[in-house]
Amino acid sequence: MTHPGIESIGRTITEAVNDGEIQFQAIKAVQEKFSPDAATMIMDLTVEAEAFGCSINLSDREIPSVAGRLVGDQESVEELKIPSLERARVPQYLKAARLTVEHIGDKPVFAGCIGPFSLAGRLFGLTEIMTSIFIEPETIRLLLEKCSMFLLSYVREMKRIGTNGILMAEPAAGLLSAEMCDNFSSIYIKRIVYDVQARDFLFVLHNCGNTGHVTQSMVSTGAGGLHLGNRLNLVEALKRIPDNILVFGNIDPVSVFRLGTPEFVFGVTSELLKQTSGHRNFIISSGCDIPPDSPVENIEAFFRAVKLFDSRH
Amino acid sequence: MVEILEQLTTCVEFGKINKASPYPPALKGQDGADELCKMALDQGIAPDEVLNKALIPGMSRIGEKFSQGKAFVPEMLIAAKAMTAAMKHLKPFFTSGEIKRKGVFVVGTVMGDLHDIGKNIVSMTIEGAGWEVVDLGVDVKAEKFLEAIGKYPDCVVGMSALLTTTMANMEFMVKEIRNKFPGKVILVGGAPLSMDFCKKIGATFYSPDPHGAVEFLNKLPA
Repeated sequence: MTHPGIESIGRTITEAVNDGEIQFQAIKAVQEKFSPDAATMIMDLTVEAEAFGCSINLSDREIPSVAGRLVGDQESVEELKIPSLERARVPQYLKAARLTVEHIGDKPVFAGCIGPFSLAGRLFGLTEIMTSIFIEPETIRLLLEKCSMFLLSYVREMKRIGTNGILMAEPAAGLLSAEMCDNFSSIYIKRIVYDVQARDFLFVLHNCGNTGHVTQSMVSTGAGGLHLGNRLNLVEALKRIPDNILVFGNIDPVSVFRLGTPEFVFGVTSELLKQTSGHRNFIISSGCDIPPDSPVENIEAFFRAVKLFDSRH
Repeated sequence: MVEILEQLTTCVEFGKINKASPYPPALKGQDGADELCKMALDQGIAPDEVLNKALIPGMSRIGEKFSQGKAFVPEMLIAAKAMTAAMKHLKPFFTSGEIKRKGVFVVGTVMGDLHDIGKNIVSMTIEGAGWEVVDLGVDVKAEKFLEAIGKYPDCVVGMSALLTTTMANMEFMVKEIRNKFPGKVILVGGAPLSMDFCKKIGATFYSPDPHGAVEFLNKLPA
């Protein structure tokens, strides 16, 4: 949740995603206003694609988006270079992470990044990659290798800076069958998890495209936390996830946080807390990033509901 | 005749585009939708029979699996590619009017939105159901929709949005369309949408999947 912070400091999304200091100020504003139990960075799923060379569309009111395709066949994938962490806006995100670690020391700080299949989709074209995994799987596997290697270096650096964990967003993998998710996403994420996850560095895998069909694939990555979207029944999912894995989620960011009333937000939050009260590994959260222009009153209602529940249990 | 049409349906349903395509493994080395469609026409099977008894059923089968959670976006898209490979052989018959389209579907993602995968799936599915699709692309402003509707006055309009900010643009665009073309049938779709939102903004129909959109279109008066 960073957009409420950006808005409260009177900055635009363009400014926040281009300047690590401004992003840190937005993160700090969220902490001061709402006191969540952890600090998180902007969910900007274009930083990595831009580092590879993709063109980006920036907007003051929306998260950036990737324009066009960077690679489209075996030859261009073979020629694709894995970028350094000096490229494009990566240094600004590392700066934001560094400042957050330095100044918000009393709670966990989670860095963020995109997942390998979602990144590959941005480089290859999301529509195109969906059929190429059938027609030219080896080309896509090579692309995924390169994406994974970059992401590993990025996450290692975030860990070195002192963050307490990474929230990896892999929404495109939710569009795949369980088998395809295993073969084109989870297998690559697993390697990163096993490299970086430690007692003091939690790997949280986010997939808001999961309707329940790839939950086991997500579990198979070894991630210590799974962040689930509103498309699945969280109560049912909790029954199938080992209780040594933290489970986050899954209040609908659009119909509840963005478009709902404070009373509705309060009610939905309270109900989910009640339904999940038997699961000690559950941490309430939105199902995805809180969208721009979400009423502050709605976010306040969410935290009020959580506080009330905590006081009674 | 029945056998070749059934093979063609299978190729569309399972995404066997052509002989060279390695997918699906079970059909490797065999003729695909491209070759079989041409063969069917060469054998004298009427083009509208090829469309209605082979291609549309193939897309319908995969569409139903998708709406039931038994098939996913990649399977839908590769089926649509197989359909497109076959449809190129039917194009002359559409142009001549020998095969009648069910109507025109003008589609685009709303102003400000560059995400097109949902739009692409719906477009290909609706084309596979026998409609002419006029794809306006992404980030489509109201004026462009209005221009297209002016060109195809009997069309059905489709709009998609993936972001909450572009959802807000959808309401404005529906108003603009209704001001100039009252009663225009407008379908909306996209991950953050719902039927409640559809009704709130005055659109006609919302479907969470392409199959629902096709079923709705098929029920429209001719």
